[in-house]
Amino acid sequence: MMRDAADTVTPGFQVDDPVAPQQGFGQLLKQNRLAMIGLAVFVVFFCIALLGLGLTSGRNPTFDPAVVRLQEKLRPPLSKPNLETLSTEEVPRLGVYLFGTDDLGRDVFARMLQGAWVSLTVGFVAVGISVFIGIFMGGIAGYFGQSHTSIDTLIMRFVDIMLCFPSFFLILTVVALLPASMYNIMIVIGLTSWMGTTRFVRAEFLSLREQDFVTAARALGVSNFRIIFRHMIPNAMAPVLVSATIGIATAILTEAGLSFLGFGVPPPHATWGGILSDGKRFIFDAPWLTFAPGFAILIVVLSFNLFGEGLRDILNPKLRERQG
Amino acid sequence: MLSFIGRSIVQKTITLFFVSVVSFLIIHLAPGAPSQVDPLNPKFTPEMVERFRKEFHLDEPLHIQYTYFYRDLLTGKTVSWKDNQSVLGKIWERFLNSLPLFIVGTIITWTLSFPIGIRSAIFRGGLYDRSATFFSYLLISIPGFFFAYILIIFVVTQFHVPVIGLKTFGIGDAAWPRLFMDRVWHLLLPSILGATGGIAILSRYVRSQMLEVEGQDYVRTARAKGVPEEQVHYKHALRNALLPFVTMFGLILPGLIGGSVIIESIFSWPGMGRMAFEAILARDYPVILTVNFISAVLVLAGTFVSDLLYLVVDPRIRL
Amino acid sequence: MTIRRVLIFAPTLVILFLLQSYLWVPTYEDQTRGNPNRLNEYITASIGDASILNPILSADSASSDINSMVFEGLIDRDEELRFRGRLATSWEIYEEAFFYVNEDSNIPGLGIAGAEEVIVFLQKAKTQDYPTNPELQASLSNIQEISIVPAREFSVTRHEQKKEDDTVPAEVKIRVSAPARIKLGLGRVDQDLFQNLSHILGNEYFSSFNGQSFITVDYEQWQSKRTAYAEGILPAIEHNPIVVFNLRSNVKFHDGHTFDSNDVKFTYEAIMNPKNLSPRVPDYEPVKRVEVVDPLSVRIIYKRLYSPALGTWGMGILPEHLLNDDVLRKEAARLGKDPDKFSMRQSSFNRNPVGCGPFVFQEWKSDQYIILDSFDDYWEGPPNYKRYIYRIVPDLLTQEMEFYAGTVDSYNVQPHQVDRLKDDPKYQSFSGPSFGYTYIGYNMRREPFRDPRVRRALGMAIDVEKIIKYVLYGQGERITGPFVKETDYYDQAIQPVSYDPQKALQLLGEAGWKRNKEGWLEKDGRRLQFTLITNNGNDLRKAVLAIAQDAWKQIGVDVRTDLLEWSVFIQERVDKADFDALILGWSMGIEPDLYQIWHSSQTNPHQLNFVAFNSSEADDLIIKIRQEYDHERQVAYCHRLHEIIAREQPYTFLYVTKWTAVLDERIVIKEVNADGDVVYKKITPTKTGNYSFYFNKWIKLPEVPSFALEG
Repeated sequence: MMRDAADTVTPGFQVDDPVAPQQGFGQLLKQNRLAMIGLAVFVVFFCIALLGLGLTSGRNPTFDPAVVRLQEKLRPPLSKPNLETLSTEEVPRLGVYLFGTDDLGRDVFARMLQGAWVSLTVGFVAVGISVFIGIFMGGIAGYFGQSHTSIDTLIMRFVDIMLCFPSFFLILTVVALLPASMYNIMIVIGLTSWMGTTRFVRAEFLSLREQDFVTAARALGVSNFRIIFRHMIPNAMAPVLVSATIGIATAILTEAGLSFLGFGVPPPHATWGGILSDGKRFIFDAPWLTFAPGFAILIVVLSFNLFGEGLRDILNPKLRERQG
Repeated sequence: MLSFIGRSIVQKTITLFFVSVVSFLIIHLAPGAPSQVDPLNPKFTPEMVERFRKEFHLDEPLHIQYTYFYRDLLTGKTVSWKDNQSVLGKIWERFLNSLPLFIVGTIITWTLSFPIGIRSAIFRGGLYDRSATFFSYLLISIPGFFFAYILIIFVVTQFHVPVIGLKTFGIGDAAWPRLFMDRVWHLLLPSILGATGGIAILSRYVRSQMLEVEGQDYVRTARAKGVPEEQVHYKHALRNALLPFVTMFGLILPGLIGGSVIIESIFSWPGMGRMAFEAILARDYPVILTVNFISAVLVLAGTFVSDLLYLVVDPRIRL
Repeated sequence: MTIRRVLIFAPTLVILFLLQSYLWVPTYEDQTRGNPNRLNEYITASIGDASILNPILSADSASSDINSMVFEGLIDRDEELRFRGRLATSWEIYEEAFFYVNEDSNIPGLGIAGAEEVIVFLQKAKTQDYPTNPELQASLSNIQEISIVPAREFSVTRHEQKKEDDTVPAEVKIRVSAPARIKLGLGRVDQDLFQNLSHILGNEYFSSFNGQSFITVDYEQWQSKRTAYAEGILPAIEHNPIVVFNLRSNVKFHDGHTFDSNDVKFTYEAIMNPKNLSPRVPDYEPVKRVEVVDPLSVRIIYKRLYSPALGTWGMGILPEHLLNDDVLRKEAARLGKDPDKFSMRQSSFNRNPVGCGPFVFQEWKSDQYIILDSFDDYWEGPPNYKRYIYRIVPDLLTQEMEFYAGTVDSYNVQPHQVDRLKDDPKYQSFSGPSFGYTYIGYNMRREPFRDPRVRRALGMAIDVEKIIKYVLYGQGERITGPFVKETDYYDQAIQPVSYDPQKALQLLGEAGWKRNKEGWLEKDGRRLQFTLITNNGNDLRKAVLAIAQDAWKQIGVDVRTDLLEWSVFIQERVDKADFDALILGWSMGIEPDLYQIWHSSQTNPHQLNFVAFNSSEADDLIIKIRQEYDHERQVAYCHRLHEIIAREQPYTFLYVTKWTAVLDERIVIKEVNADGDVVYKKITPTKTGNYSFYFNKWIKLPEVPSFALEG
């Protein structure tokens, strides 16, 4: 009974809520061309990554990124394979090396396809972990902060402690000391980047809990748990979303940086950062090995950043009101 | 005010203590041991490894090792396991190398970000704004080492001049202006690379601060009074928008001991970042922990300074 | 608006100032033209920094690069890898052999005999002919002196741990009343001496010597160890090879102090001093003592036969007067440290080394450079270069860039670049095989690798020629065994395992592995499945990993692969022998001593025979090789060992890489001929491929010289 009441009450409040992001969102997004382009590239990239996963995995993939053709190494992009020296399974699916081949004669296009998915996974999982921890910690600190100051202090001091470590070094230290694996890298990046989210989720919660709809929900006897998850988190999501978008971009770059130092995602998984840092030795003899993944990373990271920036602009109410 | 300072210091000391414990645990509990003795080198015997462990107190329980280490650190007696050099001496030497890079990088960042950010804010939504947004994001979206290689190859193959290291090797005893300029030249590429991220972020921040201030009533009033547009921007708006940046001076502090491993490795710049990286690879615990400790001190000092500055510049805040 | 102007001018000024610095920087051509001193400097680059500039303490390649310039050893190896005197002008090797008179054993034709009788017996034997046993004949005629070491009594103290966790070991007193001993002075080292003598003294003469009956152990508790004590204190037979070095006179250290035999003795003692934790201890452990005969000769007496010992004297000699106990104590006092704990490891000498090599240490900036200057009083005459600069450039691509920019004089070319740089007219290039090989090792403790047929078949499935051609860009050679290819220890006649997947399947079939419906190999319902691992960070091994996996999949082997971080790889997998198969490389010394890697006693955790190779025939040869001082015989043993290893295939031996180095074309050899004229010669590598052998004669010229044709 109570629950029903709460359910019907909240949407009403949300419409009046000044930070509700829904209104005019699409319209604003359309006006921000850079953000639109960013979103478009992001969607395309997402599709390519999904497609890549389908096409490059399994026992007999359409594009096999692992086929080694030593006699065909360092072929430039768009070159045709030499059919005489290759067995039928070794011939690239498109009949041409779209992005050339690497130092082992692997098809760079296939590797890039596979890498798209891996890079995306690294970015999403890492950010997912950091957002989850961030919301959880920030939520607790913000919601219970007033009544249980010790919890709030504990969490915020912990954030302070974590912020004392230079993040890339912390990641590097842990990754260098742990055995190399894709999961370790994702987890470590995630575990070292949740502090920002925690801080602003807490700030968001501190202000939200004073808002009328929360007070009303509490007055109606709705459980804390429900208030947090049904009412407060959706309203605090906007800045989280922005920072998550940019966080994915950062995670992809971090992985590339780790690859450069030799601590990236280990084979058999190919990542764009990995292909790039493997290719740098051949920059004079096979520039495509550097430029293909380099520009791919650039474009994708740029699109994430622009989209995130657009989101921030749109979701910032102060700036928004003047626009209309 | 005094009570704020006192409270801050106590709080930060406690934080520092926990940082030291956490970093100590991370390092010591991770798998693998210091590669002081390469176990695959046929010349090393297990007995020697054992002797090294004893020498480094690695055979003691963790909390004893902890007190040994921080006692040495606080009395300045820590030595690197790799070469028996005093860790603080090593860090000081590296710090002096990283310092010019840091200074030039900071100058580039701060001088460029403001004009770019302010202009973007004034012409919000215009072509300039959009291209500035685009380019600043472009700069932070390029993988750093990729960008570095492109720049180096471009310069070396087009101009045939050296760009790596602190100075041109074999330049000999040239006149001092030449030696000086040669050093400046070697600073150029790495500091530009180091500054790109800073420029992008800071100019964005300047832009949003300006926008926020321009929306304020007093700016509107000034404009309504008929003050020339330029004066509104540069006098009324800018001054107020600058306030929060004063506090950012404190936050630069940790950058003193930071330093990008990647850029330093590529330019073979003997800076802090590389030393720390090599220490990690060699599991040279004293160096890793000391660098970490100092950087934590700087982070904490930085936030403390910026809190203080905030107090000073913003009269509304009274603690 | 001033603010606006400042905002525009400040960045413009900064940028202009930074950009104009370009005009001051010398280009590739300018560097030698504008600065004549540059021609007298040799600049080289390394990935890693040195760690400790002390030859007895260093263990990394950068440190040894510098140490080899600053310090000088007694001997080194010449163009053909034979020993050559440096600080020593000559040396001789002979032996003193001992055995205890065994009064329990019957000597054929003599019966039980005392010391005097045995000597008479041996002297008589020397004069006789043994046409049926030429080896005995040779051993006997090698004996130059026979004498008695009289019986004597003494006591020895041993320290024993009662329990595992005892910190204070118990002292065990052992009283010994040793019987008389016969000392044989030999002209050359003879490892078969006692074996041959047993033909005339009786087969049991040496082995039946009962050392236990001559010792008394105080405490009942340690009686059980008597056998072990007896073997240690009273060995029935003993070989004491002796090396006498005659030292070069009037050699100076960089500080002007004269080098003499005390420095040699000191270097040995410093290595053996447990406080110094020297990684060289195992090399010198066989030394019994070092005796100073006179200031210019030193005698080294060994505890046992150990032929690689001579090569260890290539170790740089330390200056005794700068590192002896007094000096170290003073330094400790100056630094306020405990003099009893202060060792050579802490001394500032390690960052300011003084030796008697061709270059004098000047300056070391960590992670930047190390500068050495030529030593004017070098005994062989000062090197042509006035200065040697060792730069630390951690990134290979930037090293290459620096080489193009002219601020590094040599560059170690990576395989894929060889074709591009080899024929560049600006540079001269050199290449040769390196002293290290890459292999796939199989853990023979595990199935299916116990069967040599499986190991051979797996090797056959991999097309090594293809790896060399495509992965190494042709910059590699096949190798069939564990010796350095340029030495005569390596048997060139042994053929590598040929690439033949069909034959491989056939061999696997003989071993019981058949392909199933899905194409996987199976035996008794179990798939042929294992994991191949290697360390990350090595592109070549990574490539071999991928190729091996691919090749083995082709014949139906289910291979997983794993790349591990170096220390995890070594400590968790290799040291604990927790692997199926791995890809790794050994760098080899010239000495053919394979004891640590191939002897069956070295298969425990942390030891290097982690594949558990076990062949009694090979064990025997390995011991013989390390005890043989005669080169020809050593070569013969090595060839036999090589053959066994090639037959057993404990490793699939893959390749040795070829290195290629490029130098500026303007660097040449400068010599002064008999008439006092300066002659320039092109740099040519020695037979073994060492192009920098004559480094001390190198110099850089302003122009590329034209060389007169040499007849």
